[in-house]
Amino acid sequence: MKLPSVNLACIIDDDNVYVNLVKKIIETKKLCKNLMIFSDGKESIDYFEALLQNINDESSIPEIIFLDLNMPVMDGWQFLERFTKIKNNFNKTITLYVVSSSINPIDINRAKSLNSVADYLIKPIRINELKAIFEKSA
Amino acid sequence: MVISDSMAEDRLLQNIINDSNTEYWEYKDGSNYWSSAFLKKLGYNESDIDVNISFFLNKLIGDDYREEFRDNFFSYIKHHTHFEQNIQILRKDGKLKEFFCYTNEKEAIAQKDDSKILFFKEKKFRTNEKVKKSNFYYREFAKMTNTGSWFIDFIKQKSYWDQQTRKILEYPEDYLPSLKKAYKYYAEEHIELASNCFIQCSMEGIPFDTEIIMLTANKRKFWVRAIGKPVYDNERNIIGIRGIFQDIDDDKSKILTLQKTSDIIASQNSRLFNFAHIVSHNLRSHSSNLTLITDFIEDVDSIEEKLEMLGNIKDISESLNSTIEHLNEIVTIQTKTNHKKVEVSFSETLDRVIKSISRIIHESDTKFNIDFSQLSHLNYLPAYLESILLNLVTNAIKYKHKQRSPEIAIKTYVSDGKKYLEVSDNGMGIDMQKFGNKLFGMYKTFHYNKDAVGIGLFITKNQVESLNGHISVDSDVDIGSTFKIQF
Repeated sequence: MKLPSVNLACIIDDDNVYVNLVKKIIETKKLCKNLMIFSDGKESIDYFEALLQNINDESSIPEIIFLDLNMPVMDGWQFLERFTKIKNNFNKTITLYVVSSSINPIDINRAKSLNSVADYLIKPIRINELKAIFEKSA
Repeated sequence: MVISDSMAEDRLLQNIINDSNTEYWEYKDGSNYWSSAFLKKLGYNESDIDVNISFFLNKLIGDDYREEFRDNFFSYIKHHTHFEQNIQILRKDGKLKEFFCYTNEKEAIAQKDDSKILFFKEKKFRTNEKVKKSNFYYREFAKMTNTGSWFIDFIKQKSYWDQQTRKILEYPEDYLPSLKKAYKYYAEEHIELASNCFIQCSMEGIPFDTEIIMLTANKRKFWVRAIGKPVYDNERNIIGIRGIFQDIDDDKSKILTLQKTSDIIASQNSRLFNFAHIVSHNLRSHSSNLTLITDFIEDVDSIEEKLEMLGNIKDISESLNSTIEHLNEIVTIQTKTNHKKVEVSFSETLDRVIKSISRIIHESDTKFNIDFSQLSHLNYLPAYLESILLNLVTNAIKYKHKQRSPEIAIKTYVSDGKKYLEVSDNGMGIDMQKFGNKLFGMYKTFHYNKDAVGIGLFITKNQVESLNGHISVDSDVDIGSTFKIQF
């Protein structure tokens, strides 16, 4: 069995059921070594902004982010606004995917037009899709 | 003819109006000027006549047109009310000549504010005598348009109505209208509007054209378009008002119904929009979780792992259930508005609410400060009032301040004839700048709170608005929030 080469992935989503499932899939399929979970945009942007103080701690910077749009306190759009500002200060490529159940074309086009967003994935995300994403970043 | 130097010098119209081929009057600072073309058309020399309005009204104008012209002219001079009318003027040879007289409302010419211009266009065809003399057309027209005429004579202190006015106001044919008790022809809420119109018209000569609710002899309210214009004597004194009442009740009530219908459609549309939002976001997220889980169950090999997944399916089905309940609540807001309103007591309703959540009130050590003394009852849907109070009270407890136990002040009052309910708390407050506009939206939560669902305020707002009320909020972080409902 090949070893996972993605070190750290990050899920920002308030849907517990979804988060637990994806976590389970990632663990079972050994898609990455470590997984970080935030239940809204505020918690996670606080984390990334704090990371800037300690920029050489590469192991704490995720290679992949899965971001939900509809969340309490701070939603995905607000997160993206602030994340885009600091993204280039990390000396590591962070690939961000928007993962949402919204099939509204306005949401989809808006997300795809942002250059900090690699792709827009519509829930349900399929296991094969998930695998492909991790392999791409590996 | 006297014409002052300055008037001739700075006349802006000079380029457009040529004195010798345009028939017009200019009126400025109380002095008249009649163009030479006007005089020539009538065959007069300047020495034959006096250029002033009273000479014109007494000697030159045809009898049938005197009153109409006099009122139009003075209204134009005093208030710049534009007009157009037919007119007959006596020529030097003793014959009447017909003109079309009009002010320059539609003419695109520069005009100084303080000078007034009247044009007289010669009529090529005389108005047919049969049309002019007959009252037939007037009567048919009045009947067709439901329009009655009236006249108030200030000298004789009397008012006069035509038959059509009596008919639309449902008074008998021999009814004599009362001037002193004229207020009784208007609906109570519009008596002030009516008296303002008539007073301004009689004192200042300001004409009116307004939509007003009148009262028939049978005390039936109906919408009328009322037009009134001052009547002048030759010395510019206002000696009366005349005008028309047009019954516009059918049109007006159609417009009001249309407005109401469009309001209902707008609010239903916004509920539908929310409905679609829940369906697309919340129902979809459950179904996509189901897909993901079945996908995963197929993917794993061992029976144990497959069974483990079943627990997740139970979670999903519970969330699915509660989402469907929310959907149901939103749909019932719409259907319940058809129910009957009854007299509801605030204190009894609040008692029921407090009883139903006595456990969390006790656990959170919540204190109440209640004042229903100014308004104890309300004509409302009982279930709504209960749900509104329940939502606001539980919100106040749910979002209490971390350092203190909740204190909730509830009061009712009447202000400007409107009924209000206010619920204030000393809780954690909401950042109005950040969240103010989203506060009543669906599935919007603003706190790190496990209980936050984001449906309560959305439902409260919908309930209040479905009964034509209004809800607003004022809040300061760390101080508390006040919700104000206008019923």
